Amino acid sequence: MASNPMHQFTVNRIGPEIKIEGIDLSFTNASLFMVISASTILLFLFLGSKEKKIIPDKMQFIVEMFYSFVAKMISDTAGSKAKPYFPFIFSLFMFVLFCNMIGMLPYSFTVTSHIIVTLIMALFIFIAVTIIGFIKHGFKYLRIFVPSGVPTVLLPLITVIEIISYLSRPVSLSVRLFANMMAGHTMLKVFGGFVVSLGVLGGWLPLSFSVALTGLEILVAFLQAYVFAILTCIYLNDALNLHH
Amino acid sequence: MKGTLLFLLVVTVVNTNLNAAEAGMPQLDPTYWASQAFWLILVFTILYISISKFFLPKIKENLDNRENKIKEDLENASKFKDQAESKLKEYELILENAKKEVSKIHFESKNTLDKNIKLKKEEMEKEIEKEILKAQKEIVELKKNSISSIQNISENIVSNIVENISGDKLNESSIKAAVEDVSKKNLSKYL
Repeated sequence: MASNPMHQFTVNRIGPEIKIEGIDLSFTNASLFMVISASTILLFLFLGSKEKKIIPDKMQFIVEMFYSFVAKMISDTAGSKAKPYFPFIFSLFMFVLFCNMIGMLPYSFTVTSHIIVTLIMALFIFIAVTIIGFIKHGFKYLRIFVPSGVPTVLLPLITVIEIISYLSRPVSLSVRLFANMMAGHTMLKVFGGFVVSLGVLGGWLPLSFSVALTGLEILVAFLQAYVFAILTCIYLNDALNLHH
Repeated sequence: MKGTLLFLLVVTVVNTNLNAAEAGMPQLDPTYWASQAFWLILVFTILYISISKFFLPKIKENLDNRENKIKEDLENASKFKDQAESKLKEYELILENAKKEVSKIHFESKNTLDKNIKLKKEEMEKEIEKEILKAQKEIVELKKNSISSIQNISENIVSNIVENISGDKLNESSIKAAVEDVSKKNLSKYL
């Protein structure tokens, strides 16, 4: 059972079965780790903001560092118009980051390694950004598909490509995060299995590889959260500041 | 590397019976999709509301406070610096004025002193001149007096000497004439 590298992604029901109009909404291990991640974020933010010191202590400094990090990311990519969306992007970044990081703990569950979770987040962003674009610019927002400075001959082709690339945004956004998380965790599991099967004599090589891979996966966990947030900012920037 | 692995996994899933998702990718088993979506939306909404309504304003307020405090302190510092500079300028001005006054007083007192000295000197010189004139007159008078008394003494001496040598008494007028003659010749040597 444990030797199957995909087994770690299995979703199990915890507690009673909750069914509303035939739809199963039971609390699962995935739900549990969502709650754990969110609680950790809230605890972290609470510890970092409970005291208002002019000279911050360690916790406050880290929280403020996250705050300025996300604030800088938004102002760099989407400008000052994106300020109202700062709480959303901050929450999104923190949620993805903490889900990824808590997933790195042994025997835990990685929420973001499920395509349905990332797809819902990506679809929400995609729909919200499109609505914001139409609210801000009306039908002029469609100009996003018609880049300026392109020869007339190429324009139909480019427009088609632009439409496809726009529509594939939620897919690429969700698959990128899901695939990275799943692939990393599967690899860790595979190498862990090698350590066990090769035993005390031969297990050192995959073990060292596993250690190195863990470091890499922590980096990827951070990087993918960052990429997810910054791509959201870029999409938002397209909707707020029509460049084409 | 990951791409290859992912591809292999997808191929595995395609080759496996999708209904037996336990053998392939559990992610593609739709049993708990609705549950995951529901819990994700619920948890994320709660997270978003508590972050945006409670934590972010608090953090922002704290950051703003710090920035304001730093700005205020810097402003105060520059104000104090300006004050110190103006005080220094004032002090330098006072010092310069004092120096000017000192040199003025020095100059004035030197002038009055010089004047006084000059005046006194002139007075003294005048007095000295007067004294000199007086003394000169006295000398001249003394000279005159001394000549006549010397002549008398000389006459007496001459008459005595002549009397003692020759025993005769000489005529006074002749003695007088002889003494006058000698004194006229030699007196200038002594006076």
